[in-house]
Amino acid sequence: MKFLMLIFKNLRRNLLRSMLTSAGVMVLVFVITLIWSILGFLDIATSEKTSNFKGIVTEKWSIPSQMPFSYASTLENGAAREESDVKPIDSMTWQFFIGSTEKGKAFSLSTFVFAFCMEPRKLLTMMDELDSLAPGPKAELEKAVQAMEQNRQGIIIGQKRLAALDKRVGDRIKIFGVNYRDLELECEIVGTFPSGRYDNNSCINRDYLNASLDAFKVSKGKPHPLANKTMNLVWVKVPNKDTFTKVSGQIDNSPMFASPPVKIETASSGVANFLAAYKDLLTILRWVLAPSIIATLAVVISNAISISVRERRKEMAVLKVIGFQPNQIMFLVLGEAILLGVVAGSISSIGTYLFVNRVMGGIPFPIAFFSSFPVLDGALWWGAAIGFVTSFAGSILPALSTRSIKVVDVFSKVA
Amino acid sequence: MTDQPIVRVSNVSRYFKRGTERVNVLNNLDLNVPEGQFLALMGPSGSGKTTLLNLIAGLDTPSEGEIWVGDRCVSKMSEAQLARWRNEHVGFVFQFYHLLPVLSAFENVELPLLLLPLTAKKRREQVMTALELVGLNDRNSHLPSQLSGGQQQRVGIARAIVTDPTLIVADEPTGDLDAKSAHEILDLLNVLQRSLNKTILMVTHDLRAARRADRIQHLDKGRLVDQPDEELYEAG
Repeated sequence: MKFLMLIFKNLRRNLLRSMLTSAGVMVLVFVITLIWSILGFLDIATSEKTSNFKGIVTEKWSIPSQMPFSYASTLENGAAREESDVKPIDSMTWQFFIGSTEKGKAFSLSTFVFAFCMEPRKLLTMMDELDSLAPGPKAELEKAVQAMEQNRQGIIIGQKRLAALDKRVGDRIKIFGVNYRDLELECEIVGTFPSGRYDNNSCINRDYLNASLDAFKVSKGKPHPLANKTMNLVWVKVPNKDTFTKVSGQIDNSPMFASPPVKIETASSGVANFLAAYKDLLTILRWVLAPSIIATLAVVISNAISISVRERRKEMAVLKVIGFQPNQIMFLVLGEAILLGVVAGSISSIGTYLFVNRVMGGIPFPIAFFSSFPVLDGALWWGAAIGFVTSFAGSILPALSTRSIKVVDVFSKVA
Repeated sequence: MTDQPIVRVSNVSRYFKRGTERVNVLNNLDLNVPEGQFLALMGPSGSGKTTLLNLIAGLDTPSEGEIWVGDRCVSKMSEAQLARWRNEHVGFVFQFYHLLPVLSAFENVELPLLLLPLTAKKRREQVMTALELVGLNDRNSHLPSQLSGGQQQRVGIARAIVTDPTLIVADEPTGDLDAKSAHEILDLLNVLQRSLNKTILMVTHDLRAARRADRIQHLDKGRLVDQPDEELYEAG
């Protein structure tokens, strides 16, 4: 503690250099925090849960999966036929509706709508993160779900998408189908998702989509080309791995799903398969970009500390003359680097955590099912850890070099 | 002052290797300095006076011979032992002061005390006593850049005496000062010697400064000489 004052004062010696080095640390820790948050979130999403985990049922041989809606009720029951068969504890169907609020105009960010068509109530029990909301946001969402149940033309739109569309809750919008060509949905905005993961998504009552497809057939005299391929995914929630295995067997052995055949896999496996398309990008992020940034950080610190040590050889010789041990001088140098790295790293990662999660509502990085990513809680200590490790690695050689400073040599040059 | 030598330099040689050539800086040198004596070491550039001072202060080790300060054989100590010994027993005054520019006068003087097991209160007392002795207790919060050369050297002297060392070594302490400041610094060294019975070894080129000491020793080509050649100093 007695030497802390000395360390602080030395950092203030060349304030501009200390500030520039801190700024470099902050920028690099910021980038690392974003990368690790995205990778960490995907790791969580693709890791198996031991209980209450979800399975995804999709078409067996085709991507994108397009199953007939007639599969829905059977799959939601886990294809249970016998008394002894097991059923999922919950389930939901997803039909993707991609559309634009302006007919015939170029598809743009200000007109784009991506909606999950599903049973509204399943938003509260089956959707990741929405199934574990705090009481306040949960009550808000429940109100919107009720409104969707009462008015099947209701739509819930994420906050960012709503702003991009320049609409408000209560407004009516017309959505012209892009994947469902020639299908138009007229919806009333009944609520928004809590800020975060679903900021750019929307939810439409599946009954309304199915009814619109029926109406299409009546008005056009023939069914919509996708009428028998509307169901993209079925999610089932099971209590444990054993139940999942049984449900999987029931679906595999069911004669109901011959054309097209279906498969079930765990949600993590499904997400991982979906992410396979991004494998190279994620590999580069994890094994090239992140390590390169950490190495750059160490070099930045090493450079600053090396210059500082070279400038202060005389002072270090004076410290030796008045009785400082070589180790004590080395620890003073290490202390300066580590203090700078830990403080700048902590400010950066904690600042990133607060700004991205509280102000931005997540890292906007649309990939797979995810439109944005939260900065993980681990980021609160990542900055300090990265700062410590990189500053130690960057300063150890210059710090060791102070041990070999010869007082006689230094002062003979001075005189 | 007692006749008992506190510094004993016995048959000390110091040489350096430059390629295959051996450069002798000190040759079989003997020197005794009684406790409480103010000794001035004079000699032309390259005569070995700073080398001798460094050896006595434990900053360098002799190639041959022994150096005793009090009851400790300095020339046999390890680097770690020397560092501890210097901290407690030697005060060093430099020609160019060598104060740490980011620390105030108080903090510069406090530096050697940080290595000792003292409370903050005790350290403060000792620092203020040292600054009072050099007449700078009203400038304790000033940075070196806010002090004159003479004042900086006085802070350097306060730093040298703050641990109450046995020995004060001063390498050209007035070499960077004007005549008035040099006079004040030499007065201060005289006060330290007389009132605190400090043993002082001073290297100087300045005969006027050397005359303020109790004894003057002349070095030439690594040996102590009794009759200095006056021409040796004319250049300096």
